[in-house]
Amino acid sequence: MPPVSSSHAVVQDASRARKLQLLGILCGFAAGAWLGAAEAPTKLVSTGISPMVISFIMVIGVFLARWSLPALILGTSSVRADVRRAPHLIIWALLAGCLWAVANTLTIFAIRDIGLSIAFPLWNSNSLLGILWGFLFFNELRQAGWRRRAGVLGGALVMCAGATLLAVASSGRGPAAHSLHGVWAALGAGILWGTMYIPYRKAYLTGMNPLSFVTFFSFGELGMMALLSVSSLGLAPLWHELQSSRTVIFWLMLGGFVWVIGDVFQQYAAKYIGISRGIPLSNSNQLWGLLWGILVFGELHGRSTSIYLEVIGGSLLMMLGVGAIAFSSATGQEQTRWKEAAIRESDRYGVAADFVEARMDGRQVLGEAKPSRGGLDWLLVVAATSVFVIFATMARVPQMSVAWGPAALLTAVLVLFLVICGLALWRTTRFN
Amino acid sequence: MEKGWNMKATEANSNTRGWWANVFSDIHFWVPVAVLMGGLLLLRFIR
Repeated sequence: MPPVSSSHAVVQDASRARKLQLLGILCGFAAGAWLGAAEAPTKLVSTGISPMVISFIMVIGVFLARWSLPALILGTSSVRADVRRAPHLIIWALLAGCLWAVANTLTIFAIRDIGLSIAFPLWNSNSLLGILWGFLFFNELRQAGWRRRAGVLGGALVMCAGATLLAVASSGRGPAAHSLHGVWAALGAGILWGTMYIPYRKAYLTGMNPLSFVTFFSFGELGMMALLSVSSLGLAPLWHELQSSRTVIFWLMLGGFVWVIGDVFQQYAAKYIGISRGIPLSNSNQLWGLLWGILVFGELHGRSTSIYLEVIGGSLLMMLGVGAIAFSSATGQEQTRWKEAAIRESDRYGVAADFVEARMDGRQVLGEAKPSRGGLDWLLVVAATSVFVIFATMARVPQMSVAWGPAALLTAVLVLFLVICGLALWRTTRFN
Repeated sequence: MEKGWNMKATEANSNTRGWWANVFSDIHFWVPVAVLMGGLLLLRFIR
């Protein structure tokens, strides 16, 4: 029989693990809501701007948010400390950023060639690939038992079916052209996004803070996006398009900012419940995007009953899938396999094992300096805020019908998610 | 498993293999790189 103190520690460990699982699930829900809301500001932008330029401006907003938010929450000293401990992860962060940028560009071509209704479900399959990589490389779903495996895999499949219904319903028209190119582009985007979760999981198993990871991710993202935009349009035409779109730059950058908040929650979900559960949960963003479209922008106004039935059916399927995954949290045995994968990483790259263990538990190493903010952090926050304020003064409110009541309600829900999830992260992990 | 954690030292482990050698022999590096290359080729093809 183990000593009393040892059994007490085991009970404490199990309780901590359960708390982190719940936190990860909450982060997955918050990620879905915020990622879905990121589409709202972009809907205010009228057509006539190149999709590549829209994507490029959003990425600039993303870049500013990815540096200012970590500086505000933890301070750049924490980012520097993380990088000193696991410098190899910069490579994976840059790689993940590049994968995101190429995938995002492919989706633009996919929508152009086959329409959103076919393209979205194809690239939404990224969660299935995420599950495969999680299983193959990071011991996820190992010794999880058939019920939990079925819950995660079945939930992801049901979500894909729901996503298909929602995409068909929300598509205002048929595919622009039945092109094989579009299908390849959508599938390619799904594969790129699904593979992007390898760097995510690797970083978090090695103990890197999600807030540190996203700062370096942004260099890969902005660098690759700039390269693609310049090679596609040319430097002078790109500059000309940016100048002529200055009245909408704020809205697009705001979309990028909202997206980053969702992505930070997604990163925490990937950290605490793994990519096989975190990614499908945050893929519920499609549901939230549709809610904004229907309730705020009146997108399905006057459409047939069958369309509404498709929306309701798709939403129910999405919720069913989300529920199945949320109730399939990892058991102690599976978490032991995660720790094995973490030990493998710390051995391979010479990262201190107590640091990796502490970060997996969402806490600091004993004696580690508490994160603090300095002059550089406030400078970053002020600079990013100033850029947003400057473009806000240039922005023009578009002439379009917006239902402000539902917009306020959905915004309140977002703020509620932010407060609840932010507080839960702070209380449980101090954002570690 | 718990034993695995406890066996590790507090300081970073010394690794005789070079840092880059570790990265380049890691399948977690090559899978995303291969997918990124494939994505760029696909983009070039469909444009």
